[in-house]
Amino acid sequence: MLAAVENKPASVEAKPVLRVEGLKAYYQMNYFGVRREVRAVDDVSLTIKRNEIYGIAGESSSGKSSLIKTIAGAITPPLRVVEGSVKFDFGGKELDVYAQRPAMKAARWKHLSYVMQGSMNVLNPVRKVKHAFHDFAFKHMGLSEGEFRARVESHLQRIGLDPRVLESYPHQLSGGMRQRLTIGLATVCEPEFIIADEPTTALDVLVQQDVLALIKGVQQRMGSSIIFVTHDMTVHAAIADRIGIVYAGRLVEEGPTLDVFQRPQHPYTAHLIASLPRIGDTRKRVALGGKPPNLADPPSGCRFHPRCPLAVDKCKSENPPLLARNTGRVACWRAGEVEAA
Amino acid sequence: MFKILRDLLRYNIEFAIGFVLTLAIFLFALAHFWAPLPDNAIYLLPPDMPPSAQYWFGTTSRGQDVLWQMSSAIWNTMLFGLSVTILSRLLAVAVGMISGYLGGKWDEFLMTINDTMIALPNIPILLLVYFVMRDQMSWPVLALTAALLGWNYDARLIRSVTLSLRNREFTRHAVFAGMSVPQILVRQHLPYVMPVIFFTAMNNLIWAIGLEVTLSVLGFSDINRPTIGGMIYWANQHQAIIAGIWWWIAFPIIAVVLLFLGLFLLAISVNEYIDPRSRLSRMGA
Repeated sequence: MLAAVENKPASVEAKPVLRVEGLKAYYQMNYFGVRREVRAVDDVSLTIKRNEIYGIAGESSSGKSSLIKTIAGAITPPLRVVEGSVKFDFGGKELDVYAQRPAMKAARWKHLSYVMQGSMNVLNPVRKVKHAFHDFAFKHMGLSEGEFRARVESHLQRIGLDPRVLESYPHQLSGGMRQRLTIGLATVCEPEFIIADEPTTALDVLVQQDVLALIKGVQQRMGSSIIFVTHDMTVHAAIADRIGIVYAGRLVEEGPTLDVFQRPQHPYTAHLIASLPRIGDTRKRVALGGKPPNLADPPSGCRFHPRCPLAVDKCKSENPPLLARNTGRVACWRAGEVEAA
Repeated sequence: MFKILRDLLRYNIEFAIGFVLTLAIFLFALAHFWAPLPDNAIYLLPPDMPPSAQYWFGTTSRGQDVLWQMSSAIWNTMLFGLSVTILSRLLAVAVGMISGYLGGKWDEFLMTINDTMIALPNIPILLLVYFVMRDQMSWPVLALTAALLGWNYDARLIRSVTLSLRNREFTRHAVFAGMSVPQILVRQHLPYVMPVIFFTAMNNLIWAIGLEVTLSVLGFSDINRPTIGGMIYWANQHQAIIAGIWWWIAFPIIAVVLLFLGLFLLAISVNEYIDPRSRLSRMGA
C-alpha cells in the first residue's frame, strides 16, 4: 500500500492540471489582398490530469504542432487564437494562458517547460552549455550562483550526464547527449507541466529508447504531467498513459493507450493502428487512399469523410461531436462500427 | 587571457605574425611621447638629408626628422582610425541587431535611414562638412563625421545575420524561458555576430585610415598635426618626388602598409578563436 503511494505521489488529486476548452487557433493571412485562413486547431477540448503522460498522434500537417504551440502560449502571428481557452492549474492557482499573460510569462520554465521541435538545436552553438542553464533557469530558482551550479550538476548526474558537459560547446557533444541536455534543461526547475514537440524524432532507435526511459523516469520522480506530440506510434505505445488522435486540426479520438491500440473506435485510428507492422505478420499493409485535407479549405461535415470507408451521407453534411464512449471519447457518426470491420 | 595568447601564438602562425607586426608598430608609435623635438617644430634640423646613421629615415625639406614625424603620424592616424571604427561599430551593431530582431516598423524605419545613407557619396559630404565647419574642424569632429558615414553597409550585414538567428530554436526557447529582448540580443546573439563585427571592424579601420589619408593629402584636415596623409601632403607641397626626396614619402607608406597587414592578420586569426567551431578544427580536435 505504502509502496503504491510512493510510486504515484500525486495521482490522487482529481483536479486536472490542464484544461483546454473549445480551442480554435487559425493561421490568418492577408497578403496582397488575398485572405487565407488555415484552421490548424479547430475546436479542441481536452483535459490532462496530474502525473499523466498524454500523447498526441497524427500525420504530418494535421495541426498537432500548432495545437501544442497554442497550448504552450508560444504562438506568433499569423497563428492566432480565435476562440476558446487554455487553463493551467499550478499548485491550486488557475492560470489562463491567453488572459493572464504576465503571470503566464512568470510561470514559464518554472512551472511549465517546453521541449521544442528540432530540440537538438536548442543550444546556442557559440556558447558553453552552462550559459544555457544560467539564462533559462537561474532566475526562476532563486538560488545563489554556487547553489545553482551544484543543483544543475546533481540534476545532470541524475539524468546520466557528466557535469563536465557544462564546460563544453554543443558541437562537442553527440546527438543523444544534446537531447538529454535539452530534457535536462526543461526539467531542471522541476516543472509541473512539460510540453514536448517531437522529443525523439531524428534519434536512432537505441538513443530514442534511452531518451524515452529518461523522460518517463523524470516524470515519475517529479510527479509532473507531460503532453507530447509525435507521429511515431511506437513512442506513444512506450510511454503515453492516454493518446489523442488529431486529424485535420480536430481531435477525433482519445482514450487510454492500451484501449486505443486494441479497440480503436474511429475509422481513422483503426487504419493508423492497422498500418503498424507486427512481429510475425507478413501481410502487406494497406495504405489509406487520398491525402490529408487542405486546412485552408477543409471538407464539409466530418473532415475524414472523403477517405473514410464507412462514410455515409450524414458524414458529408454534419460534423460529429467528440463524445464519451467506452473508456475514451470519439468524434464519429459510426463510432465503434469499425470494430467489426 | 595569458594562456589564450600563448596558445594563439603557438598554434596560429597568422596570429603570431600579425601580433608581432602590430605590436612593433604600436611601440614605434608610442615612442613619439619621448621624441627629442616637438612634432610641429620645423627647420630645426638640416633639410633633405638622406637616410644615414644619424637620421635613420632621413630628414624632410622642412627640417624635420622623418623617423619622429612618422612615429607621431602613425599614432595620430591610428587614433583617428580606431575612433571611427569603434563609433561606427556601435552604430552598426545597434542598428543591425535591433532592426533584424524586432523587424516590422522598427526594421522599416531603421533600414530607410540606412539605405538613404548608403546612397550618399562620402567624400563630397565630408568636404561639405569641412567647408561649413572650417573653424571648428578638429580631428574628433572629423572622426565623428566619418563614423556617421561608415556604418551602413555593416548594419545591413549584421541585420541579415540577426534575421536568421531570430528563427533559430535557441532563440525561440530563450523567448519562451522569459529572457528579455536586450538579454537575448546581448547574450544569445552577440557572441554569434562577434566574428562578423571583428571582420567589418577591420575593413572599417582600413577604410577610415584611407579616408584620413585622402582628406589630408587634399589638405582638408588640420595640416599642422602630423598624420600619414599629412606627411604625404607636405611632401607633395615641397615636390619631394621631383626633388628626389623619396624617403619622405616611401617610409610613411611602408609603415601604413605594414599596419594594415598586421591588423588584417590579427583580425582573421582572432575570428578563428572567437568561433569555437573553427578554433577546435584548427587545433585538430
